[in-house]
Amino acid sequence: MDIVRLERVVAVVGAIVVAAAALVALKNDWKTPGLENQVFKVMLGLLALGAVLALFAAIGVLGNFGGKA
Amino acid sequence: MALASSSYPVAGAQTHGEVDRLYAETRDLRLNGFLLFMVSDLVLFSSFIFAYLYLRNSGQGWPPPGINRLDVAFAAFNSVVLFGSGTTMHFALENWKHGHFMKYANWLIATIVLGVTFLGGQGYEYYTLMARLHHTWSGSGIFGASFFTLTGMHGLHVFAGVCFLTVLLMQSVMGKYTPQKYFGLTAGTLYWHFVDVIWVLLFSIFYLI
Repeated sequence: MDIVRLERVVAVVGAIVVAAAALVALKNDWKTPGLENQVFKVMLGLLALGAVLALFAAIGVLGNFGGKA
Repeated sequence: MALASSSYPVAGAQTHGEVDRLYAETRDLRLNGFLLFMVSDLVLFSSFIFAYLYLRNSGQGWPPPGINRLDVAFAAFNSVVLFGSGTTMHFALENWKHGHFMKYANWLIATIVLGVTFLGGQGYEYYTLMARLHHTWSGSGIFGASFFTLTGMHGLHVFAGVCFLTVLLMQSVMGKYTPQKYFGLTAGTLYWHFVDVIWVLLFSIFYLI
């Protein structure tokens, strides 16, 4: 397995795990009150979005996958 | 706000009861101050990001002639490492709130390790760009200047965050925080999430669009 393919596989698996974990944490915290928890919710949502973007990048839907700088 | 009516006698707090009362009174103030700090940091990043987007859209195509696009595969891998550290940090704080010290410590150590791994990945990417492909700060023009400035500034924030989390780990081991009083851990988690969210933006503008 070449290094780019390995990076791609790890990124896909990791992105799925991270997105799922962030969404579960968001769901668990959904009803918690307080300013800091509202900020946490926004940031967990953006974290999940980032993981989804990384997932799309890793499977080649977004970005210039595999291209060399 | 409670502080408006208090005499704010921090130095005069003698008993545990007084310390607890002062903690409760000043916690919101410290939280607001920390959030303002993050907003000011966001403004700093925003100014550089908008400058980059302006330059990107005012030239003769992007990246400029002679410079190829960045490799997304490694960046996606490294991004997942950083985003993963955001979730581990969140789990660390949740475990602290519920009094599970060992789980808290393990998640926090995992966060620090992932943060260091991200920095190592960024160093490897810089090495690849500079040593192998000869894209230097000055040699790759406005593209390189934008890339190295923004990602370097973010990397410094990650480094500061790793130091911050390491101090928090040592302080919690020494008994500075309790499951009821842990503002430092909240601030550390907020900061680490902030660093993650900034990377979502940088990852998008440099590698995806």
